[in-house]
Amino acid sequence: MPELLRPGSIDEAADLIARHGAAAAVLAGGTSLMRETYPSDGGYLIGVDRLGLDRVVARDGGWSVGAAVSLSVLREAVPIAALQAATREIGGPAVQNMATVGGNLFARAPFGDLAPALLALGAQLVFATADGETTQPIEDFYAGWADGAPPSTGLLTRIELDAPSGDCAYLKCARRRYSTPSVVTVAASVQKDGGTVTDARIALSGAHAQPTRCAAAEQAVIGSSLDEAAIAAAASATEGAVEPRTDAVASDWYRRRMTGVFVGRALAALA
Amino acid sequence: MEDKLIRLAVNGRDEAVVIQPLATLQDVLRDKLELNAVKSGCGQGGCGSCSVLVDGELQLSCLTLAERVGDAEVTTLEGLNETNAIVPLQQAFIENYAAQCGYCTAGMVMAAKALLDRNPAPSRDEIVEGLSGNLCRCTGFAPIVRAVQQAAQALSDTGEEAS
Repeated sequence: MPELLRPGSIDEAADLIARHGAAAAVLAGGTSLMRETYPSDGGYLIGVDRLGLDRVVARDGGWSVGAAVSLSVLREAVPIAALQAATREIGGPAVQNMATVGGNLFARAPFGDLAPALLALGAQLVFATADGETTQPIEDFYAGWADGAPPSTGLLTRIELDAPSGDCAYLKCARRRYSTPSVVTVAASVQKDGGTVTDARIALSGAHAQPTRCAAAEQAVIGSSLDEAAIAAAASATEGAVEPRTDAVASDWYRRRMTGVFVGRALAALA
Repeated sequence: MEDKLIRLAVNGRDEAVVIQPLATLQDVLRDKLELNAVKSGCGQGGCGSCSVLVDGELQLSCLTLAERVGDAEVTTLEGLNETNAIVPLQQAFIENYAAQCGYCTAGMVMAAKALLDRNPAPSRDEIVEGLSGNLCRCTGFAPIVRAVQQAAQALSDTGEEAS
């Protein structure tokens, strides 16, 4: 049976993670991990409920979001419509009260619908390790995943989020309206100068083994006026770039098609 | 690993219970405290039949480790009314035939209470979203939504709380 450890400080938690390595799993809201934990398992569950990571701090130009902040608290505390939309797409109300922002970033497809929103918003992730604190852009964190599994990063302690300067759209394609795994999830944010797109961040989950930005789609809209032709080009470029998988929710073929369709819809919402 | 003595605040009472390592709140409520309105459904967070309130917030007891509940106040269906009388929300379920086999009902009532406590006059869409983590395999949901609509109406007529 795994042993529950409840460290009282971030340093202690980082040391436990470093010491126990792959035998340790970080237990936050429990909505994924509790389902996968069996009495026959060994190892350690490292609870993060005593680390003070359950607060959102509004700072100049943005927010510091503790990794153990629940999805419902995030929705109340951070008034970014795309992020609020994402929190409502994950589980039902009880799951949203329990599941944490940090935990959701480690969820594996077809779960983990927060990641595209945070990728599109350019979030930075802060980790505590036995050697100190490290910060990395969220896309670098996902670039380090192998075979759909996260790298050993230490303890995710907070997510730094700047107030968005452009518009951001978030859309989830799923089989049911609520409390459902995703076929594919899309978030897009664009910066415009006049009517011309100067920068774009288009993010997907369900399209690769882990959440990613889609450079091909971004390049298709930068410099355009988000006219129909540019949106169609971005949707087509997306379908050509993704490598979705088949599971019980959807086939790779369907995911590929829906990724293009939903990138197109997200961009149309920003046009 | 050894059994542990923990304290829980449940339905307004302080309870001391001996639990096994990694016992869930659901295990403790059902097996130690005999609060059997808490149902054991999927054990995966997918059905909502084990829903309880923790400090007034809807949570899933099957995914909650009992020893992490700490000082939080836990409310089960049995705790909606001190005298065990039917509360208006339950009465609305009865009058709308919102239960058939009844297995989901306690969780549905707790989800509805959590919704009405936050939003006393929800729209139909808000009720559907508020109950979206709770599955019913008999009624087709429509009577349940009607029951919550009736309860909300009754509450606005009387100015009472959901329970």
